[in-house]
Amino acid sequence: MLSKSNSLRSLAIAMAILCASPKLFSQNTIIQNTHIRGFIDALAGYQNGKVSFGFGEQDLFITSELHDRISFLGETVFKFTPGTPTEFSVSIERVVIKYNYFGNHNLLIGKHHTPINYWNDTYHHGRVFFPTIERPLLFAANFIPLHTTGMSLQGQNLGKLRFGYDFMVGNGLGSDEVSDNDTYKSYTAAIHIKPVENLRIGASYYNDVISKGANVHGKQVNWQVNQQLFTGSVAYFGNKFEVLAEGTLASDKTDTTGNQTSSAAYLYAGFKIKEKFIPYIRIDNLQYGDGEIYFTKDNTTSFVGGIRYVINYLAVVKLEYQHTHTQISGDLNKVTFQFAIGF
Amino acid sequence: MEGNKRYDGKLKQAFLKWVVLCFLLVPGLKCIGQDSTLTAISNPRGAPPEMKMSELRSVLMGEKQRWNDGTKVVIAMLKSTTPLGEVISKRVYSMSGDGVRGFWARISFAGKYDLPNVFNNVSELENFVAQNPGAIAILGRPSGNDVRVVLIDGKKAF
Repeated sequence: MLSKSNSLRSLAIAMAILCASPKLFSQNTIIQNTHIRGFIDALAGYQNGKVSFGFGEQDLFITSELHDRISFLGETVFKFTPGTPTEFSVSIERVVIKYNYFGNHNLLIGKHHTPINYWNDTYHHGRVFFPTIERPLLFAANFIPLHTTGMSLQGQNLGKLRFGYDFMVGNGLGSDEVSDNDTYKSYTAAIHIKPVENLRIGASYYNDVISKGANVHGKQVNWQVNQQLFTGSVAYFGNKFEVLAEGTLASDKTDTTGNQTSSAAYLYAGFKIKEKFIPYIRIDNLQYGDGEIYFTKDNTTSFVGGIRYVINYLAVVKLEYQHTHTQISGDLNKVTFQFAIGF
Repeated sequence: MEGNKRYDGKLKQAFLKWVVLCFLLVPGLKCIGQDSTLTAISNPRGAPPEMKMSELRSVLMGEKQRWNDGTKVVIAMLKSTTPLGEVISKRVYSMSGDGVRGFWARISFAGKYDLPNVFNNVSELENFVAQNPGAIAILGRPSGNDVRVVLIDGKKAF
């Protein structure tokens, strides 16, 4: 009941913002400015005594200015999906309609990358922008909700500290793209500051109730889970040094196990020996509570060491070594070469 | 003998002239590359008549969506592959031309700001600024009267 009234309240706030200044809709001429871009990466890897070649997701990215205050962003991915008739599938990753209602304040509606941490809010699916070949392990472990279909209020570069916020309400985990699977909504509150150039410090809170029987990341959840995620991040991408450190603490509460706490974190550091050459490292750590039943309990540590060569802003090559130790699979070593491009 | 001396003297004079010319030319050439005078122009509607350099930079980095009068900030840019575009990239963005293109690709991909309007030459850029409320751009020296020069730190050129 409480959840339903919260949803109605969110909807009412959004409508109020949209209707608050009807003059703004009528007084400006419609200008359309559409840009289409694409991203893809080709890979070669050595693992378990064999060399494999492959390619990653092909990402189609569209932005369009439709009006003085309205813009659209769409991101569609074509990717290898074993088990389907063509072994490929199309996935809508982002569909965002943005309405700039005042100054640097916006209302966003659609399917978003949940603004829970810097990586998920910045890099999306364009591998050419990633500082490492793959995302940090907390993404593959489904530790954070990557997408949220819903609406949000966003503010950017406010005041001297260049404060920013994202307050989002969405369908939550277990829902599909067109409807919610239950009456609960997910809530994300993220704030950040950029006190000096190239530095961003952020924190976020995420809350969702995942219903019993929901299908989350291809796995059925057999208990109702009340999930809270607390995230902190520091990102600095300067002329010489690059540092990105992020950590998420998850609290999963069920009637049978009580409150279980798990954590996921990574640290990336790079050093530009020349403008185009950046050797880097990344350390990942995933630790699950003893009684954790929502996540797949697989304590993991990983070390990545690599070098990135920026040919230009749309062509980047990376060579990387990764050592991973997981509770389930033991030690894994691999060397990967990636050629990532934008077009 | 006398003829040889005269010839040596002329050679010395020519060499000295050449050295002096080089001293005069080299700093001049350097100026064209690095110290070109830049001017901020805007549509009469939107941008204020005077800004600080830090404010201008912040606007051109996509940190401001609306001017104080509510007009949308519309960034117009000369292609960063042009010589003047490269100078603007270094002086305003403290980046290479490629760095500026990468900066805008990243910022638009993250959905934070719309891509700027990019032009091949100064006249196209100036026309766009003249015709679009809220538009702002940097160029060498404005030629048209339909745009307003924005004073930066109290000066017409920087």
